[in-house]
Amino acid sequence: MAAGTQRSLLEYRLVIVTGKGGTGKTTVSAALALAGARAGLRVLVAEMGPDEQIPRLLDPRAPRAGYAGCAILPGLRAMRIEPFEALAEYLGLQLGVRAIVDAVVRNRAFRQLMTAAPGWRELITLGKIWHLAQLDSEDPPGRRFDLIVVDAPATGHGVAFLDVPRVVVSAVRAGPLRAHAQRVERMLEDSDQTLVLPVALAEELPAREIAELTDRVRNEIGISIDRVIVNAVVGPPFPDAIRDLDEALARLDGDLELGALPPPRVLARCAHHLRSRHELNRRFTAEIQHTTGLPIVELPRLPEGIQGPDQISSLASALLAKPVFLK
Amino acid sequence: MKPDAKLDAMLADREVIVCVGCGGAGKTTVAAALALEAARRGRKALVLTIDPARRLADALGVESLGNHPQAIPRETLDALGVPGWGNLSAVMLDMKRTFDDLVERFAESAAVRDRIFENPIYQHVSNALAGSVEYSAMEKVFELHESGAFDLIVVDTPPAQHALDFLEAPQRLLEFLDSRLVKMLIHPAFAAGRFGFRLFHRGTQWVLQVLERITGIGFLEDLSEFLIAFDAMADGFRDRAHRVRSLLLGPESTFVLVSGPGSESARHASDFLDRLEGYGVSLAGVLVNRIRLWPSEGSPPRGDAQQSADIEALRDALRASEGADYPAQLAAEAAAKAATRYAEWVRSDARSAQPLRERIEAQGRFWGCIPEFERDVHDLSGLGRVADRIAGKEEP
Repeated sequence: MAAGTQRSLLEYRLVIVTGKGGTGKTTVSAALALAGARAGLRVLVAEMGPDEQIPRLLDPRAPRAGYAGCAILPGLRAMRIEPFEALAEYLGLQLGVRAIVDAVVRNRAFRQLMTAAPGWRELITLGKIWHLAQLDSEDPPGRRFDLIVVDAPATGHGVAFLDVPRVVVSAVRAGPLRAHAQRVERMLEDSDQTLVLPVALAEELPAREIAELTDRVRNEIGISIDRVIVNAVVGPPFPDAIRDLDEALARLDGDLELGALPPPRVLARCAHHLRSRHELNRRFTAEIQHTTGLPIVELPRLPEGIQGPDQISSLASALLAKPVFLK
Repeated sequence: MKPDAKLDAMLADREVIVCVGCGGAGKTTVAAALALEAARRGRKALVLTIDPARRLADALGVESLGNHPQAIPRETLDALGVPGWGNLSAVMLDMKRTFDDLVERFAESAAVRDRIFENPIYQHVSNALAGSVEYSAMEKVFELHESGAFDLIVVDTPPAQHALDFLEAPQRLLEFLDSRLVKMLIHPAFAAGRFGFRLFHRGTQWVLQVLERITGIGFLEDLSEFLIAFDAMADGFRDRAHRVRSLLLGPESTFVLVSGPGSESARHASDFLDRLEGYGVSLAGVLVNRIRLWPSEGSPPRGDAQQSADIEALRDALRASEGADYPAQLAAEAAAKAATRYAEWVRSDARSAQPLRERIEAQGRFWGCIPEFERDVHDLSGLGRVADRIAGKEEP
């Protein structure tokens, strides 16, 4: 595949951001939502974790979005998909009688059964996403989303989550559950509309995990992936002419007084750390590219960490860069 | 007790240490390093890992070991500074086999066992049931603790959506088994496929009708059959789940929260801590993994560090050592910039961790930092370095 054949991320309808915990998946989801809103799209960003994060990242004063969701910025809504609320909504649509549904969902035995039962959370969550993606201009004005960004759960690669419709279709013999799972499966497999966006770190373990993730998503689950986001990359720390700077510093008298600067021994350690992390990142970015066969979009490691809107804003621009095969 | 003494006491006295934290924090590495450090202090330690990195698994010798502990060879232990009376073993959790072993243990006959193994719901339960990894991990801890072969088990918990799934899983399973709905589902009339909903209480009728609407009849029949088979062994199972829970909440056990650097990790860790406290488990302390620390000597440069006089002094020193063709001015400026950049990381990590640190220290718990190394840790010598830092030894 040649570089540059990829569409812009903003041309998809549904982008599911996946990756292991600690890779910055939530940050990337927030940044993509912001990039979409800036481009004039109506964007919904949905997260699934027990602790809501995205509204706070986009605006420190944002209220809790909850299941009902709230507008964070012009054109940008956030919500958290809570499985029991989604289930109540789904049952309400299925059965029509909200009073019965509420009684059932509040029923203790029912909750216990559902708490222990496998798979339905994922299915009902994906079902809610499907439902949101169906909203179009015939619905009340302003309800159609041009872009839905999903911050997938961090458990296992977030891939088990995407596999549930397929499992349900194979395990359930008939009935509305099976039909529902098939609808969700069709949405996920529609490569014109839906993209899985994997987020990785350029380190040994995450590099191997992202290779497994992309392989499973593409070959077993059958959802389209066209690039890998490599997050927190340490750029080249020194110009090429002095790439051995840490070694040069290590040859100096380690205790030399340098005023406001730390002594050479410490300077050498700082330089060595930066160089090592940079070289490590380069090596594993190359490995990710090689094992996945996919072009890369690199996001820089920000010195100040991810504090809030300023960092999300700078990542939002970087995220839209054309994916490339690095040399 | 001083916080550091808390860490020492934990490594000396506890029988189970559970490492908890969000995915990506490095729980596996920290769990293995804690077990190694305990072995160095003369204990017979075991680390139970859930999903270790392949190289770490290779290093520990736990690849394809089928759920049984494997001792780290003596010569390796010697090289790591483990005395003759201490030792270290590792085991990788095989979830399916742990579940199968449980069924083997409690099924009253081979026929019941086979009915369970063949039931499609069981096949999903043992693979995909919410909390089943957590449950089987805790079951394995209990079994290993009962065996008496180790005096310390360090547990690496699976990355969980809900932080305490592994603690809640046994309880959930018990509540589920005892629920009225399950009693209904194991009713013979139901299992025979005669849907006599009218037999039941009105609320339960609704629930069953709704379930049927959502899932279709096939699922409920499979579920009912599974539960009937399972019910035959429920007493043994129930008793077991209670004992697993008492072990984890008892005085033999303690928890260590493992966090990553940065404000996102710190926020997660602090949410996690709220829930742990709500649960009444004993938390020994927090280890922050891969945090950037300033080298022990000298202090991080401030904004004025790039003053020309200091840069010139560095430039002259570089020129003297490297010769005239080395771009010494460029190098001196780059070195000052690198130090400033690294210092900014250090300050940002410290700032992000500060609220959590204050909270932990005010509670008299230990607060430990493991620095980000130049390379990531995937082998035993790397684990040795992590263990050194946990024990408070400086880098050489």
